[in-house]
Amino acid sequence: MLLKKSKKKSIDYSEGIINTVREPLVALDKNLRVLAVSRSFYNVFKVKPEETIGELIYDLGNKQWDIPKLRELLEDILPNHNPFDDYEVEHDFDTIGRRIMLLNARQIEEAVGKEQIILLAIEDITRRREVESGLNKIREELEVTKKSADEASEFAESIINTVREPLIALDQDLRVVSVSRSFYDFFKVKPEETVGELIYDLGNKQWDIPKLRELLETILPERTTFDDYEVEHDFATIGRRIMLLNARQIQQAYGKERIILLAIEDITKRSAVEDGLEKAHIELTELATELERVAQVKSEFLSNMSHELRTPLNSINGFSEVLYDETFGPLNEKQKQYVNNVLTSGKHLLSLINQILDMAKVEAGKMTLTLSSCEIPVLLNEISMLVADLVNKTKLQMVLEIDDDLPNIEADELKVKEVLYNLLSNAIKFNHEGGKVGIKAKQIGSEIEIVVWDTGIGIAPENMEKIFEGFFRVDTPYSRVTEGTGLGLPLSKKLVELHGGKLTVESKGLNKGSSVHFTLPIVSGGEK
Amino acid sequence: MKKKIVVIDDNANNLLLEKDILEFAGFEVFCAANAADGIAMVRKEKPDIIIMDVRLPDMPGTEAIEILRQDKETSEIPVVFVTASVMEKDIEEIAKIPNSGYMSKPINTRTFVEEISQFIK
Repeated sequence: MLLKKSKKKSIDYSEGIINTVREPLVALDKNLRVLAVSRSFYNVFKVKPEETIGELIYDLGNKQWDIPKLRELLEDILPNHNPFDDYEVEHDFDTIGRRIMLLNARQIEEAVGKEQIILLAIEDITRRREVESGLNKIREELEVTKKSADEASEFAESIINTVREPLIALDQDLRVVSVSRSFYDFFKVKPEETVGELIYDLGNKQWDIPKLRELLETILPERTTFDDYEVEHDFATIGRRIMLLNARQIQQAYGKERIILLAIEDITKRSAVEDGLEKAHIELTELATELERVAQVKSEFLSNMSHELRTPLNSINGFSEVLYDETFGPLNEKQKQYVNNVLTSGKHLLSLINQILDMAKVEAGKMTLTLSSCEIPVLLNEISMLVADLVNKTKLQMVLEIDDDLPNIEADELKVKEVLYNLLSNAIKFNHEGGKVGIKAKQIGSEIEIVVWDTGIGIAPENMEKIFEGFFRVDTPYSRVTEGTGLGLPLSKKLVELHGGKLTVESKGLNKGSSVHFTLPIVSGGEK
Repeated sequence: MKKKIVVIDDNANNLLLEKDILEFAGFEVFCAANAADGIAMVRKEKPDIIIMDVRLPDMPGTEAIEILRQDKETSEIPVVFVTASVMEKDIEEIAKIPNSGYMSKPINTRTFVEEISQFIK
């Protein structure tokens, strides 16, 4: 009885302990039948007392507890290793799902009597494991992040050192954290005077620049990035510089500290070049405007000159023509001759004005051609008829040598006629009495070559160039050679060139005649 | 009945030249030496044709014609601009005016009357 009583007491005591512990606790007899369980056991494993006490542990909860690893612990391990702690068992319970448990087992002998009981403390570490594995994952991720942060930082450092532009990293207090090698090179400062220093103190306080202060202290805190902030400063060491600052406020991967990255681009030279370019551009624009104005003034001048000369010429030519025609009554021979002289001079003056205007127009690039298909033989015959009177008057002989089968050419007929008239009238004017003038025309390849030749006074070699200048008059002993504007030949050359042809003059010397050769493309290469 | 012509030119000699040639050819000629007088003359005489200088002291001849063209009474009268302005832009400006002709100075007195007559309806 006593024994029984004490045993009962001991069990009560054990039960007291068993029930106060939070962990599920099971007491088994040597046959592995449940002697007692803690309240928490029922709670955790959702089993009822009447289905528990006295049952084989493996049979608990409808044999849910028949776990191989539990059998191993209770039957193999524990008899040899008593106590055994932290035996991990993972099991899928029908009622409560997958659980990871840590079993602490004790085989103890009751104080009185030899019967052994087994105490099994079950710690449900499912959550802990989850947390632990989560933590591990986080730890791994952190490790990766840290690694990549380290790599990034290393990468950043290497970027800083590889960029050409001076780059400077500052901490929140605007002290230098790191600078690129180019920074040292460019600003002629030494590493030992740089890192850890306040940026404004760098290079003997050369960096105390009001606009830099403004950027770092006022603008940047509000904007975090700022590009192309122009700062001009006179550095004692490197002279006046214009810099373009790009600033970034960035947060370091670890820790909350912000750093400021400042990229410095020296645009002093670029600025100077840009200034120069701008100046040059302005000058060019001004020059272009001035040239345009000059051209405008010139054009207006010519227009006015032409107008103001034509107005009296209208009366001079008009009245003398009416007089010469004897519209209002007959003139005597002398009167008629005189008035004809007035008319001839007036017409000469008119052709001079027209040629000056044409020259100006060609030179201004404003002369345009009105192209049509021209029959050269027809054109040459017309012109020779036009000058026939002049030829006869000076007792000259005219020779035409025009090849058969000349193709029609694409040209401005009026202007070709003007050229031919100019050249022929020169050939007639600068000739000897009884001399010859002639026209030859033939096809050479894709061009027609026309030669206007004479047996006249010729051209001295020293004058060969001058005859193409305007208003040039060859000195001549023949007093009657006074007509002509001196513009006929230069203008003819320009008109031929406008057609895409060439005009050259040949003379074997004074009194050895001369010939003017010019070509006209069959298909116009000139302006349309 | 004689055809009426109003000739407007500020140069007295040119005015006389044109007047004499045209009168000799049988026209009734009225002269004016500026645009304002010319406009008044045209309104009064309603000529068959107007011979108009361009550079006039009070306004360009082209403007004077514009004014006359806005007036129903004178809008149909043809005009020949006889001018010493021979630059392209002057000619182009005249070419824009309908029912008009252009003749440069100095005029050819031998063809003047015939050329003018072409514009008379």
